[in-house]
Amino acid sequence: MQLLVKSAKIVDPNSSHNGKVMDILIENGTITEIKVKIPAAGIKKIVEANDLHLSPGWFDMQANFCDPGFEYKEDITSGMKAATAGGFTGVAILPSTNPPLHSKTQIEYILNKTKGEIVDLFPIGALSHKQEGKDLSEMYDMKLSGAVAFTDDIHPVMSAGLLHRALLYTKSFGGLIISRCNDSSLATGLCVNEGTVSVMLGLKGEPSIAEEIMVTRELFLAEYAEARLHISSISTEGSVGLIRNAKKKGLPITTSVNAYNLAFEDTELLGWDTNFKVSPPLRGKNDIKALKKALSDGTIDVICSDHRPEDEENKKLEFDMATPGMIGLQTMYPLVNMHSDLSQEEIVTKIAINPRKILGLEIPTIEKGVDANLTIFSPGTEWTLNKKDIHSQSYNTPLLNKKLKGALIGIINHDTYKGKNT
Amino acid sequence: MKTALSVKHLVGIKDLTLSDIELIFATADNFKSVINRPIKKVPSLRDVTIANIFFENSTRTRISFELAERRLSADVLNFSASASSVKKGETLIDTVKNILAMKVDMVVMRHSSAGACKFLADNIDAVVVNAGDGTHEHPTQALLDAFSIRENLGNVKGKKVAIVGDIMHSRVALSNILCLQKLGAEVMVSGPPTLIPKYISALGVKVEYDLMKALQWCDVANMLRIQLERQDIKYFPSTREYSMQYGLNKQRLDSLKKKILIMHPGPINRGVEITSDVADSDQSIILDQVENGVAIRMAVLYLLAAKTQE
Repeated sequence: MQLLVKSAKIVDPNSSHNGKVMDILIENGTITEIKVKIPAAGIKKIVEANDLHLSPGWFDMQANFCDPGFEYKEDITSGMKAATAGGFTGVAILPSTNPPLHSKTQIEYILNKTKGEIVDLFPIGALSHKQEGKDLSEMYDMKLSGAVAFTDDIHPVMSAGLLHRALLYTKSFGGLIISRCNDSSLATGLCVNEGTVSVMLGLKGEPSIAEEIMVTRELFLAEYAEARLHISSISTEGSVGLIRNAKKKGLPITTSVNAYNLAFEDTELLGWDTNFKVSPPLRGKNDIKALKKALSDGTIDVICSDHRPEDEENKKLEFDMATPGMIGLQTMYPLVNMHSDLSQEEIVTKIAINPRKILGLEIPTIEKGVDANLTIFSPGTEWTLNKKDIHSQSYNTPLLNKKLKGALIGIINHDTYKGKNT
Repeated sequence: MKTALSVKHLVGIKDLTLSDIELIFATADNFKSVINRPIKKVPSLRDVTIANIFFENSTRTRISFELAERRLSADVLNFSASASSVKKGETLIDTVKNILAMKVDMVVMRHSSAGACKFLADNIDAVVVNAGDGTHEHPTQALLDAFSIRENLGNVKGKKVAIVGDIMHSRVALSNILCLQKLGAEVMVSGPPTLIPKYISALGVKVEYDLMKALQWCDVANMLRIQLERQDIKYFPSTREYSMQYGLNKQRLDSLKKKILIMHPGPINRGVEITSDVADSDQSIILDQVENGVAIRMAVLYLLAAKTQE
């Protein structure tokens, strides 16, 4: 393939061309030329647009593809289409499938099924067998097969002892543990932040401390085990403070936030729309403010989509019966673009560079002679999300027919180019 | 005074304006005089079919609605299903759509899920009246409670009302707070701290954990039923210990400097929230509440039906 990207503003802190507007020529999967002007004559494929920006291929560190087991919500093929349309050349997928990704069989299934595709999938294995929170899964074997990290995802590890053993056990082979903090003895499972909104809905609220107590525990455990730990999906002001202090102390802690926790306040739930039912729940103004600040000052390393497809049978229900989660791959970038104080370069750091750094993956860059793993996008373009644009099998998003700012133009990976709708 | 409600459904007190509530009260005044006549029936809702759909056990609310409907000459259909047989919302919509296919105009629903009536109103064509949705709202109860206070004290504005008991699991509490505040009353909640939501004061209510202090403050005490069936875990060790702290007995009542009104939404756990001598005392307006329930529900159904003919 030969492809010329015209007049692209390069957004890549690791590139010597960062911030410049250049033409980029890609031949047979490699960047062969970066110049202010490259003649277009004879080049079949030219990508040209207003406000065209080019960055290393984006990476979503947390998405659920539901396959195997829940293919009626999403499967690997539809998930990868959604990832492509969202601008991602890499996605780390969660183990909450049926059976969970808890042995090498499932890890290999994912990797075999996605070989040669434009989107690279990186399975995250379950921390405990069947995600039951009882016994460690075969993490070493999974790591050898290609698992990039281990987590029980939305099933919080309530046993401190188990998490401690997981942190110790993975040290010998460099496995990364990811903890999503939510003490289930304090949380209600109703996914409504405790506050005025929960009072108005008459629902028992999810207190911030359900998350913060577990973040505190995790920090103690990581320090004690002298192990690296990634705390995912933080949502409260308190969690931000705890992690900021831990980082100051020099603990090897990294953390992420989900785009919906930046974009939406808990007041959205006053209309009982189950598309806003997510976990961690939508929080209050002060929490969102703290999350934004933590992104800017580096306390939060990564932004994730937490893409969680649910079909109508699980969403068009009475509020307490609906399953939490929203799809997010296609809307993550615009939400971050609209609802953070980050520059484009900072956004790219949080959604392309840091996730790969944390998972120990190769970080693509924009230099002559390197493999082309790129995302082409336009931060200024406004568009409306229509149902027909959704590539997921599920439509559980509150953003249908809503205007968004920040659009994908296309992605390039493994010598292939795909535009937003191809 | 206006003659039509601002809402199409009665999902919650939240959605009502002060003039909506005043209109309901004025209409209920008329119906109350009707039901005290020898001929208690009016033809207002002839040819209107109302389905009472109860996914949760209820005796008095269902009977009260049914009586209100019959006195308005509506055709009445009763449907009840145990919550266990109706687990999923598709089934809820399907069940109700099946009933609506038989040409039903209004649905009175009780359901164990908070928000279920809003969900139903969004998904079907008929008028929906909330007869209690989980721990969310029970608007007709709040209306009849406030109506009963107005009847006994002349006015709701400026009155002090203490709501005592399980505030967390009570739909009556939330609807009452909102309704009383719209009418200008001051509200205090009292009960064990495990059963009072942390952020309840954001609604502008006072919180008092000491029952005697709450009683000394108020003009009216609304003693809520302990909803053991709605508590997933234990919030207090025993009903015995609950009534030691929050039960209202004659001795406590008589020790107050003034005569306060005693209310209870029923059914009473006698000896738990209030003792029999309090429930049956001249300060108790519990049976007034029951009587006013029919008038209030007649008013609500009448006004909502009128709204569809606008």
